[in-house]
Amino acid sequence: MTISLKPMILVVLMLCFITTSCSSDDDNTDTTKPTITINYDGGFPQACEALERGQTYTFKAQVADNVALASYSLDIHHNFDHHTHDDQIGDCEFHDDKTPINPFLVLENYSISGEQQSYEIALEISIPNDVDTGDYHCEYSVIDKTGWRSQTSIDITIIE
Amino acid sequence: MKKICIGVFLCMFCLWKLSAQQTFRISGYVVDKQSETPLQDALVKVANNKYTTTNDKGYFSLDKLTTGTYQLQVILLGHKDYFIEITLRSNQTIYIALEEELSTLSEVVLHSKTHQREAKETAIVSEEINETFLEENRENSLMQTLNKIAGVSSITIGSGQSKPVIRGLGFNRVAVIQKGIKHEAQQWGSDHGLEIDQYGIDEIQIIKGPASLMYGSDAIAGVVNIRQDKIPEKNTFSGEINLLAETNNDLFGTSVGMQSRKNKWYYNGRLTYRDYADYKVPTDSIRYDNNVFELHDNNLRNTAGKEANASFGFGYISNKFKTETYISNVHAKTGFFANAHGFEVRLSDIDYDASNRDIDLPYHKLNHIKLINNSSFIFDKHILKFGLGFQNNLREEYSEPTPHGFMPKPSSTKERKFNKSTYILNVKDEFVLNHHDIVIGANTEYQNNRIGGWGFLIPEYKRFTSGIFVYDKYMVKENLFLQAGLRYDFGVVDTVSYFDWFQSEVNNENGTTSSLFIQRAKDQTSYFYNTSASLGLSYIRDKTSYKLNVGKSFRVPLANELASNGVNYHMFRYEKGNPDLDAESSYQIDAQVTYEANSINVSVTPFVNFFDNFIYLNPTSNYYETLQIYDYTQTQVFRFGGEINVNIQPWEALQVNASIEYVYGRQTSGVKKGFALPFSPPLSSFLSVTYALKDMAWFLKPQFKADFRLTAKQEDIVPPEEYTSGYNVLGVSFISEFEMFNSKNRSQLRIKVNNVFDTKYFDHTSFYRLIDVPEAGRNLSVSLTIPF
Repeated sequence: MTISLKPMILVVLMLCFITTSCSSDDDNTDTTKPTITINYDGGFPQACEALERGQTYTFKAQVADNVALASYSLDIHHNFDHHTHDDQIGDCEFHDDKTPINPFLVLENYSISGEQQSYEIALEISIPNDVDTGDYHCEYSVIDKTGWRSQTSIDITIIE
Repeated sequence: MKKICIGVFLCMFCLWKLSAQQTFRISGYVVDKQSETPLQDALVKVANNKYTTTNDKGYFSLDKLTTGTYQLQVILLGHKDYFIEITLRSNQTIYIALEEELSTLSEVVLHSKTHQREAKETAIVSEEINETFLEENRENSLMQTLNKIAGVSSITIGSGQSKPVIRGLGFNRVAVIQKGIKHEAQQWGSDHGLEIDQYGIDEIQIIKGPASLMYGSDAIAGVVNIRQDKIPEKNTFSGEINLLAETNNDLFGTSVGMQSRKNKWYYNGRLTYRDYADYKVPTDSIRYDNNVFELHDNNLRNTAGKEANASFGFGYISNKFKTETYISNVHAKTGFFANAHGFEVRLSDIDYDASNRDIDLPYHKLNHIKLINNSSFIFDKHILKFGLGFQNNLREEYSEPTPHGFMPKPSSTKERKFNKSTYILNVKDEFVLNHHDIVIGANTEYQNNRIGGWGFLIPEYKRFTSGIFVYDKYMVKENLFLQAGLRYDFGVVDTVSYFDWFQSEVNNENGTTSSLFIQRAKDQTSYFYNTSASLGLSYIRDKTSYKLNVGKSFRVPLANELASNGVNYHMFRYEKGNPDLDAESSYQIDAQVTYEANSINVSVTPFVNFFDNFIYLNPTSNYYETLQIYDYTQTQVFRFGGEINVNIQPWEALQVNASIEYVYGRQTSGVKKGFALPFSPPLSSFLSVTYALKDMAWFLKPQFKADFRLTAKQEDIVPPEEYTSGYNVLGVSFISEFEMFNSKNRSQLRIKVNNVFDTKYFDHTSFYRLIDVPEAGRNLSVSLTIPF
């Protein structure tokens, strides 16, 4: 055959070059997720924290975004069957599995107005006297203006 | 356009001028090569479109031909096409012996041309994939095998399932056609894989562009067309056994196929069974958000699966009539990664690491039955084709029940069930009129989707679509073809209301709360009307051929896009349909330049595409309870891209194939203006080098092959996706034939190593990418094909 290896190598090199050098151009789109943390002084609840029935607590978390925050939610649900665990450092000691009778449930969401880039969530939550004690799961989540979402979850216990 | 007009004019002028000259006659006999019996009704055609048919003695005669060179073509159903070049200076008589047709008789072969020639003549950019390619490149699932075709990628779900993506668009924007009938399942689901046995496939055509014209709704981004099986030779019986073993997921697979033909009747059958364990990834732990999942022995927990498929087909072929019936059943059970069900991190008492072969919760089961009949009738210059299909797709997802929000713990593990039946009728008439190849046809489709289980995602629905089309390929010259097509479609989607099975607390306007069964879907009927069109030309000039095509395609919105209103537990988000969605429409310009010479073959296929109302599941900034709301919206989308493919054979033994694919996509309106589309494949190139060796000992025609993929990073993302780094990954294989039992039909051995360096990399379009699961690690596979 008359074809030498040269053009072939050139073509291959060219393909490799294009592949490695081309990258997406910048459209100034927001590709950064908001952040959420309870790992600061005042963050509440902390991992494995025990909360008493009949008490009122202020749930606090710090959220931030590069563009603007839009909304956040707090979800507290029982984890009596231990279907999930938190994303905090260290494992909490779980109680035995149990059947829920009157489990405590919080499903709340709020918007953050005014294009803020950082915000401290502070929600007053009262735990009624008649809810089931045991292992619970507390989840904060936050969404920014673009639609990026972040969450953090914490294992807690409700005690007498 | 001007040039074409001039061309047409010149042609006509020449014909007129030539007609004044002396004329001659070509006559002759057409016989069967084997039996030497005369063949009646064979179409005898000279290139300038004079044609006739043979009589009962096999005789034909074509008069009034002027001096010149003619491409004489003889076409008869069930026989190979016959071409001969005749230089006419006096009356001539010729004898033509036709060989029996051994290869496919599907679609275009009936129309007398090879798929390759047909592909060249058509203005639509398509790719023909043969059995050899499929065998040599076989991966764990069909679409993973086809990944190596530039412009084609796949969304993989674990190691055994995948679905097609063509130039960055997948799900319901790619139609998969099997034996002329559109495959209908739950294609919209990101955890759905194609329910098609990848063994026993002879040929696949891939259309990389809008093809609604021929295939209706859904073929908006492209088509994977699995053609009909080859028809066996007369009085033969043949079969083969395929055996496959893999190390990465401890897979054992076998497929046995056989086929036979007497004279006019033929049949084929196939059984396939595959059983695989959890697949291994080159990492000890998966880090997803702040979670770390330790992996036992690198096994991606609970991704084992098994698959059992059976199919049977029979057919009858004569000169004027052909019918083929095909029945198949695909059954599979596959586990999902156990540590995160969709986005939710899960704990379980199940001892997943006890065995890597067992399939625990969560898993899904699917069963797909297909019944297809294709019949063709030939009379005069017409071929009338009927395609009839029934299919039932049953898909059930099981997971450990957990309470969520106001939903108490469900009593069963059956989270979702989809039972969808689809009835399809296609009719078309293909005929030749002077220089025109015309196809007139109609497609009708009825879907009935029922649901079950405690998780609600899409409502029950009935959907009816029907379309009529006309398509004309006009041969301006022997090497210049003009194509135009027009189609009109009507569709109606009828969704059924759905209420939650549990009560939720709802805040009333007066500040009180009440408990009620929330309505998730309404009884609703939506109508859609659409016109599709296509105009293109193809020009073949020596070694170079050119194509240009402009097309408009459409897609009827899906029931979930129109009417979903509930928690997608798999993705852990709240999905909201929009009953006001229009049918999606797309405009695309495709071009192709191909250069083919003995040792080099280059093809460049760019495209530009515009959607005026792309349906997009938009992550909003709002919550429903504590879940993010995703709502279906329509945006304008602009895309361009293409593929370059270079195939070089510098000397007999060496073959190098290099390709590169790229797609740029942007939403140009709406709330996500400036963002890409979900699951956008990154820029990627593929290099394949094959070196053929001399026969050694038992090894006949041995060859070594190295496949190298180099993929760029993907930072063109849209929430909730993440950046994916670039990667390069190498695969090597050794392929050889050898004699076993049968010296006429050689057996084949293939030894392949995927991901040679056990590279940890992420595929941006993989289902598990969202939870940071890397692609499979090193895999050694050995496969044998033994004919009998």
